[in-house]
Amino acid sequence: MAWRVGVDTGGTFTDICLFEDAPGDRPGRLAVWKIPSTPADPSRAIAEGIAEGLARLGAQPRDVAYVGHGTTVATNALIQQRGAKTGLITTRGFRDLLEIGRQKRPDLYDLQVDKPPTLVPRDLRLEVPERVLHDGRVEVPLDEAALRDAARRLRAAGVAAVAVCFLYSFLRPEHERIARRVLEQEIPDAFLTMSHEAAPEFREYERLSTAVVNCTLGPVIQAYVRRLAERLRDLGVPVPPHLTQSNGGVLGVEAAARLPVRLVLSGPSTGVVGAQAIGAAAGFPDLLTFDMGGTSTDVALLQDGVAGMAPEAVVHGYPIKAPMLGIHTVGAGGGSVAFVDAGGLLKVGPRSAGADPGPACYGRGNAEATVTDANVVLGFLPPGALLGGRMPIRRDLALAAVERLGARLGMDAMATAEGILAIVTANMARALRVISIQRGHDPRDYTLLAFGGAGPLHAARLAREMEMRRVLVPAAPGILCAMGLLLTDLRADFATTRLLRLDDPATPAALEAGFRGLAAQAERWFAEERIAPASRRLRRSVDMRYAGQNYELGIAVPEGVGGAALLAALRSGFAAEHERRYGFLAEEEPVQVVTARLEATGVVRKAELRAAPPEGEDAGAAREGERPVWLDGAWRAVPLYARDRLRPGNAIAGPAIVEQMDSTTVVPPGWTARVDGYANLVLESA
Amino acid sequence: MEVIGAALGSIVEEMGEALVRASFSTNIKERRDCSTALFDRDGRTLCQAEHIPIHLGSFLELIPEILRRHDPAAMRPGDVFIGNDAHAGGGTHLPDIVLAEPVFVPGEEEPAIVAWCVNLAHHADFADRGNAHIFQEGLRIPPIRLYRAGELDRDVLELILLNCQVPRERLSDLRAQMAANRLGAARVQALCARHGTATVLGAGAALMDYAERRMRAGIAAIPDGVYRFDDVHDSPEVAEDLPLSVEITIAGDAMRLRFDGPPQVRAGINMTRTALLATVYYAVKAVVDPGLPPNAGLARPLTVTATEGSVLSCRAPAAVNARLSTCQRVADLILGALAGAVPERLTGAHHGACSVAQFSGYTDQGPWAYLETIGGGFGARATKDGLDGVHVHATNTSNLPVEALETEYPLTLLSYELVEGSGGAGTWRGGMGLRRVYRAEAECRVRLDTSRLRTPPWGLAGGLPGACARLEFGPGVAPFGLGGRGGLQAGQWVAVVTAGAGGYGPPAGRAPERVARDAAEGVIGVQAARRFQCM
Repeated sequence: MAWRVGVDTGGTFTDICLFEDAPGDRPGRLAVWKIPSTPADPSRAIAEGIAEGLARLGAQPRDVAYVGHGTTVATNALIQQRGAKTGLITTRGFRDLLEIGRQKRPDLYDLQVDKPPTLVPRDLRLEVPERVLHDGRVEVPLDEAALRDAARRLRAAGVAAVAVCFLYSFLRPEHERIARRVLEQEIPDAFLTMSHEAAPEFREYERLSTAVVNCTLGPVIQAYVRRLAERLRDLGVPVPPHLTQSNGGVLGVEAAARLPVRLVLSGPSTGVVGAQAIGAAAGFPDLLTFDMGGTSTDVALLQDGVAGMAPEAVVHGYPIKAPMLGIHTVGAGGGSVAFVDAGGLLKVGPRSAGADPGPACYGRGNAEATVTDANVVLGFLPPGALLGGRMPIRRDLALAAVERLGARLGMDAMATAEGILAIVTANMARALRVISIQRGHDPRDYTLLAFGGAGPLHAARLAREMEMRRVLVPAAPGILCAMGLLLTDLRADFATTRLLRLDDPATPAALEAGFRGLAAQAERWFAEERIAPASRRLRRSVDMRYAGQNYELGIAVPEGVGGAALLAALRSGFAAEHERRYGFLAEEEPVQVVTARLEATGVVRKAELRAAPPEGEDAGAAREGERPVWLDGAWRAVPLYARDRLRPGNAIAGPAIVEQMDSTTVVPPGWTARVDGYANLVLESA
Repeated sequence: MEVIGAALGSIVEEMGEALVRASFSTNIKERRDCSTALFDRDGRTLCQAEHIPIHLGSFLELIPEILRRHDPAAMRPGDVFIGNDAHAGGGTHLPDIVLAEPVFVPGEEEPAIVAWCVNLAHHADFADRGNAHIFQEGLRIPPIRLYRAGELDRDVLELILLNCQVPRERLSDLRAQMAANRLGAARVQALCARHGTATVLGAGAALMDYAERRMRAGIAAIPDGVYRFDDVHDSPEVAEDLPLSVEITIAGDAMRLRFDGPPQVRAGINMTRTALLATVYYAVKAVVDPGLPPNAGLARPLTVTATEGSVLSCRAPAAVNARLSTCQRVADLILGALAGAVPERLTGAHHGACSVAQFSGYTDQGPWAYLETIGGGFGARATKDGLDGVHVHATNTSNLPVEALETEYPLTLLSYELVEGSGGAGTWRGGMGLRRVYRAEAECRVRLDTSRLRTPPWGLAGGLPGACARLEFGPGVAPFGLGGRGGLQAGQWVAVVTAGAGGYGPPAGRAPERVARDAAEGVIGVQAARRFQCM
C-alpha cells in the first residue's frame, strides 16, 4: 500500500492531503488533515502533520511514495526582507542599476510612497572592468585581478551570497563563467548566481534583479529544504520531497535550492494545478479560477485546461524573469475592511483585519465591519459558529459594526451590508477582467471555479457580475492547494535568446540548433530527477514579434515540421495571435524570433479522480433545516444542506445554502446546483 | 457608480497596455511615453490612465477644439481625429500626437456619440530642429480627420509622414494608437449595452461630482490663508535666469492659484495654458488627495490664473518643445507654496527637470532619431529620505535598457550611476541625481536639456539644497552652446548629470546610524561641497 502526500503551508494552517495509490481497480482513499502552522520553522508542522495524518489512517511513513510541497517560504522571505546578506559584482559603470531600475517612481501622485528596498546596499555593490558590446565583441576583457579583489572585499564584509551580472552575458557568458570560478575559489561557502544562469535573456535590469533575488533567497531556501528533507528522513519517509515552482510544475529539492527564484509563486500555483485537474475531470477545461481567502484573492485563467504562463513578472516590487502561471492577486478577502472615504463613498479593502483580530463577529476586539461581517448580517454565514463549531460567531457585533458604518452613509444596516458585498465583488471582477477581457478572452465562455475559504460564498454573485453562467465548487474547496500537489508533474523550463529573422533562410537551422542545446539541458535534468524515458515530455515554443516591437508573443512550435513549413506555421501562428491580442497586422514588417523555450515535463503517477455513479436528484437526506437570509430586500427562509451528505446526482434549486466544515456555498435564487460524480457542486443560472 | 468607475479604469489601462505592447518605437514600447483616456461627449475627462500627468494637458482642449471645428452631427462611427498643435489644437508640444475617436452607441433614431476614446503617443521625431518659434519645431497638425467612417485618408497620412524623419516608426506607432482606441470604443459600447447608456453617462457625471467632493473636502482640511513661493528657473536654452512665482489662496473648500513669470521667450521652454493646468491638477492632487479619481471633477474647486503671453501661459507662435522642464518647476513652486500650510505632507525641491538627451543622424539604413529622458533626485519627506534617480512630477517614463539602446542605435553607454553627494543633506536626505554617459559610435547631432544648472533644488524646514545639474563633454567635444545643441564624432562622449533634491529638516537632526550608513554607501562625501558651488 503506497501513499502520496501533498502539503500546503498557509499562514494559519498546514493542510495535508493523503491519497492512497491503490492497486488494481479499487478506488484509492483520499484523506485530509489540517494542523496549525509553525511559521518559525514550517517544516516542523509538515513533519508532524504527515506523521499524524498517516497514523490516523493506520499507515506508516515508510508507505509514503511521494511528497509534494507548495511553500510560501520564498515569498515571505522576499516580502519580509529576510533574505541572505548578498553582494553584487557588475560591469564598471553600472553598479547602481539595481537601485535605479527603470527610473520610474513607484506612485504617480503619492509623494510618500517608497520603492521596494534595494536588496543589495550600495557598499556591497562592486564594479569590475569588463565590457562586451551588443554584437558580442569584447571591448574590455575581464580584469581578473580586480574581480579577485572584489571577491575578497565581499568576503571580508561577510556576505552569504554573491550575484554577478555583466552586460550582454546572455550573449557572451564567458566573463560570468570566469567570475564563478574565481568566486568559488575566494568565497567557497557563498551561494552564487551568475545572471546568465538565472535568466539567459536580454534586458539587463530584469536579468540582474532575477539573479539578485535568487541570491538573497538561496541560502534561506537551501537551509529550509535541507531541514525539511532531514525531518522527513528522520520520520522514516523513504523519498525526498518535491517543491512546486511558480510555473505549477514540481522540482527536486536540489534543483529548487539552486534556483529558488522559481519558487516565489509556489503557494498559489498549486491551487491552479488542482483547479486544472478538477476542471478537466468535471468536463470544464475553460476556467477562471477564483481562490478567495481572508486577505487576498488569486485568480487565473485556464484555456483548454492550460493556464496562461508569463515569462516574467514583478513580484512584490522585484522583476523576476522566470516562467510563472498568470496568477493575478487582488487585496480582497473575507477580512477586508469596509470604510467611508473622504468623498463619502463606501470602499472595501485592501486593508484586512486578518485572522487576528479578524472580523468584528469574531469578538476579538475589531470594531470595523468586514466582508465576513456583511455576510453574517445578511445571513449567508451562520449566526452561531464557523469551522464546524470551532470558531464562535457573534452576529450582534457584526451588526453593530455594519450599523455604525451605515450611519455615516445614511443607510440602514442591510443596505450597507449589501453595499459591502457589491463593492468587494466589483473589486474581484476587476481582477477577473484583467486576466480575461484584457487578454482577449470572453469570460462568458468560461466556468468560474471557486475555492479557498471564502470563494464558494461569493462565487455566484461574482459570476453574475461577470455574466458567467456556471460555477464549479470542488468537494474540498479549503484544501484544493494541497490536493493540487498530488496532481502535478515534474517540470523545468529552459530558454535561450536568439534574435532571428523569420524570412532568413538560415533561421530553421539556427532554431533547430538552439532547441538542440535546450534539449541537452533537459536531458541532464531528466537524468538528475531520475525520470524514466517513457515519462519524459518536451514542448517547444518561441517568443515572436515584429522587428522593432519590444514585447513578444509566445507561439507553440509544431512537432515534426521543419524548414519552410516550420517558418510558415510560425508565421501564421504569430499572425493569428497578434490579431487576437492587438486587433491588427503589420504585414510589411519583418517578423523575428527572439527566444526559444523548451518545457520539459516528467510525468508522475497522480492521484486519480474517479467518478461515482449518480444516485438520484433528491437531496432531502442532506437537508438541515433553514435560516433567514436577506434576499432582494426581504428576509426569506432559505433551506440549508450539509455538503458531506450530498450524493452524486442530487439537485438543489436556489435559493439554498450548502455548508461544510471550511466553506459555505451560496446558491442564489434563479440558480440550481447539482452534485457531479466527483462530488463537485455545479451551479448554473437559469 | 463604483462599479462603472472600476470598469472605466480597466478600459483606459487596457488601452494603454495594448498601445505599449503593439508599438514599434522605443519611446513607447520601452519608455512608455504615452497616455490613454476617456472623455465624455462634451470633452470632459471621464478617466485618465496612470501614465504621464502632463499628457492630460494635450487632452484637455482637444475634444472641445474638435467640437468647435467639426459639426458633431456630421461625425460617423469610424471617424478618427488626429492633432498635435499647441496653439490651434489643444496640444502641449508637437511630438505628442493625439488620436481621438468618438464612440457611438445605438440611439433612438441613429447612432449617437456617447464618449471619446483618446490616446497620445510621444513620437520621438522632429529631431534637430529649431526652437525659436513653433514653426521651427515640427509639423503642426490641427485636429483633422485621419479616418472617415473607418476609411483611412491616405492624403493626410502621406503629408504627415513626409514631414517626419523616421516615417516607418511613425506609421507603426499610429497603427498601435488606432488599435488602442478601437479596443476602448468596443469596451465602452459593451459597457453601455450591459448597464444602459443612461446609467453609464449618469455614473460618469456622478464620478466627477464625487472627485469634486473629495477635492473640496481635502482643500477644506488645509488651513485657510495666502501662501506665496518664489523660485528661479534656468535652462540651457536661455542665457538668463527666469524668476517664477505663485500665490495660492485657500478659502474654505476652494483654492486659487495665481502664477507670475517673465514674458515668453524665443526658446522651447514656454508652456501653453493647458500644460499649466495639467501641471496644477497633478501637483494639487498629489498634495491634497493622491487617491482622487483622475477626472474633470477635481478641477472644479480650482481657479488658475497666469499672465497671458508669459512663459507660463504663452501665445502663438511661442516655441514649446521643452515645456516640460518649466512644468517641473511649476510643480515645485506649488509644493513650495503649500509647504507653508501643510509642511508635513511636502518635500524638498525635486530635481526640477525632465532632462533630455536626443540623438539623430544617418546610417546606411536611412535617418535615425532617438530621444530619452533622465530622472534625478526626489525631495526628502518629513519622515523619510527622498527617492534616488527617479522621474518626478509631470512625467514618469522608463529608461531604455542598455542592451536595447545599444542594439538599436549607434550609441554606447559608458556609465549609468547615482551621483554621489548630490542629495541635499538634512534630517532626511534628498534623492540623488543620475549621471548617464553616452559615446557616439557614428557621427550624430545631439541636443541635451536639463534644469537647475545654476539654481540648486531647495531644502525644506532647515534641510540643505541638493547639487546642481551639469553637462559634461569628453575630450575633443566643443561644449554645446545656447540651446544645448552640438555634434559628436564616432568615439566621442557627452554626459548628462541631473540635479539631486533638497533635504528636509536640519542636518544635525540626522540619526547617527543613518550618517554612518550614508558614509559607508558613499552617498555623501568629499563632493558634498559641490552643492554650494553651482555654476
